Amino acid sequence: MASAVAVGGRPARKRRSASSGSLTRGSAFGLGVSMIWFSLLVLIPLSAIIVKAAGGGLSTFTDVLTNDNTRAALGLTVVSSLIITAINMVMGTIIAWVLVRDRFPGKGLLDLIIDIPFAMPTIVAGLVLLSLYGPESPIGVEVNSTRWAVLLAIAFVTLPFVVRTVQPVLEELDTDVEDAAASLGATRFTTFRRVVLPSLVPAIFAGAALSFARGISEYGALVLISGNLPRKTEVVSVRLFSFLEGGNTEAAAAVATIMLLVALLAIVALDVIQRRVARRG
Amino acid sequence: MSIEIKGVNKKFGDFVALDDVNVSLPTGQLTALLGPSGGGKSTLLRIIAGLDSADTGTISIEGTNATELPPQKRNVGFVFQHYAVFKHMTVAKNVAFGLEIRKRPKAEVAEKVDELLRLVHLSQFAHRLPSQLSGGQRQRMALARALAVEPTVLLLDEPFGALDAKVRKELRDWLRRLHDEVHVTTVFVTHDQEEAMEVADEIVVINEGRVEQVGTPDQLYDEPANDFVMGFLGEITTLNGVMLRPHDVHISLTPQLPGAAEGTISRLLRVGFEVRATVLTDDGDEVTVVLTRTHARQLGLETGVRVWVTAASGALTMPSLSVAR
Repeated sequence: MASAVAVGGRPARKRRSASSGSLTRGSAFGLGVSMIWFSLLVLIPLSAIIVKAAGGGLSTFTDVLTNDNTRAALGLTVVSSLIITAINMVMGTIIAWVLVRDRFPGKGLLDLIIDIPFAMPTIVAGLVLLSLYGPESPIGVEVNSTRWAVLLAIAFVTLPFVVRTVQPVLEELDTDVEDAAASLGATRFTTFRRVVLPSLVPAIFAGAALSFARGISEYGALVLISGNLPRKTEVVSVRLFSFLEGGNTEAAAAVATIMLLVALLAIVALDVIQRRVARRG
Repeated sequence: MSIEIKGVNKKFGDFVALDDVNVSLPTGQLTALLGPSGGGKSTLLRIIAGLDSADTGTISIEGTNATELPPQKRNVGFVFQHYAVFKHMTVAKNVAFGLEIRKRPKAEVAEKVDELLRLVHLSQFAHRLPSQLSGGQRQRMALARALAVEPTVLLLDEPFGALDAKVRKELRDWLRRLHDEVHVTTVFVTHDQEEAMEVADEIVVINEGRVEQVGTPDQLYDEPANDFVMGFLGEITTLNGVMLRPHDVHISLTPQLPGAAEGTISRLLRVGFEVRATVLTDDGDEVTVVLTRTHARQLGLETGVRVWVTAASGALTMPSLSVAR
């Protein structure tokens, strides 16, 4: 591990600068294929959306943004996703810690179950949540058609992200480092805060970015349980769908473009924060 | 006695790592725990530091019973084979860690860090990250970090094991000089007998979880307690049913000494100033003889030449009951 750290820094940079001048045939082919594939799947459809939204002129955007229902949906989606992302950063790290460091019966099973919210079709997730927390809740918790339902559904589908990004980093972490801190007098908490956590920060934030992106885009898990009440529990994706149903494709494209911006902003912001936290150490 | 280890046993599952170990390590000295890999020496060191706990037995450090103390309370400095650096902190921050934990005033911390970095010759690297240092520099930083808290004992677990031969040799000499300056009771684990003999005041030989012998390097070399110690501390060869060091074999072209075994040189290998001859005796022994290049030339040794070999006078010999290693 230590030697990997040693080579981590400079040679990697050297390799990059060497290839920036001239591409070998193999890497030129690789770059070409990746760009074509990426363009077909991502860049072209995204540009189409933006073009579509722009086609309606600036007024489409102002109309969308001055519409109370749409503004409420945007706010609810972004705020809920932020809250759940913050919770995930804490809970995900704890779950990853338990999975890597503790030994208990059923650990393998838990490790497997973590991925279920991610793996199952989201509409099924919505159904599961509705049957547990809906009108005929067997445990007496009825949250359907409230904002709790929105939070719950987002929390459900985004649970695995931070766990799965932190877990491998934690597994690779050298326990000698913690022993060293202990023999220097650091308590377990201090060791975690000053030695372990700084190593986990990049992974936690990477997971947070995924979790936020998934949160703002969730539809299936939310549509059944949230009740879709305008200005109360309606989220952006549902709002967008109703625009489409109403034939207002320009407005739908405008909302889509705004969401695209939000996602971009969030990812950039998380990256900036992560760099700052990691540097402070 | 600085560190008293009494009746320590440790098992990992069915594997016996330490089997009733009793050792006293003297204050202010540099002691080596020497033995083959997997022999339990690192486990013993970790138990002294409190990083592992013994199944039974007691550890006392400078008269205090430390058996139940957590590592934080033992005031022990520990240096790891793979450096265990805090990689997100600068060199200075790494060294300051223990002092900051103890909430010492900033000025005092800065002064102490400065002094230690000078001691380990890393002053100009204070603001670098560990990843920008070489292996040897990282280990010196780890040593400064351990010394910063002024430990009662300094424990080093194979400290030079991950370094290349040249750096190893430099750091070994440097550790000896550092110890002569600082005088902190130091225990280090190694599987390299040359390293142990060169650096340590006292050596504890550990094999298969048991202490085989404790003594100064000379005592161990000249009076090994058993064939394991003899075999581990230097090369051995067997001649006429006794074990001895290859450089203690007397070789001649004529039967000069009584009891010499007659044989043929089957192989000659020259390594620098040294010549290693393999002699196949008529009794079927394969004897290794080491002599200087000059001596070999004087005798005119060649492959296929008939020679007589026997233990030189004053040679250390030991009956060969079982073949060590």
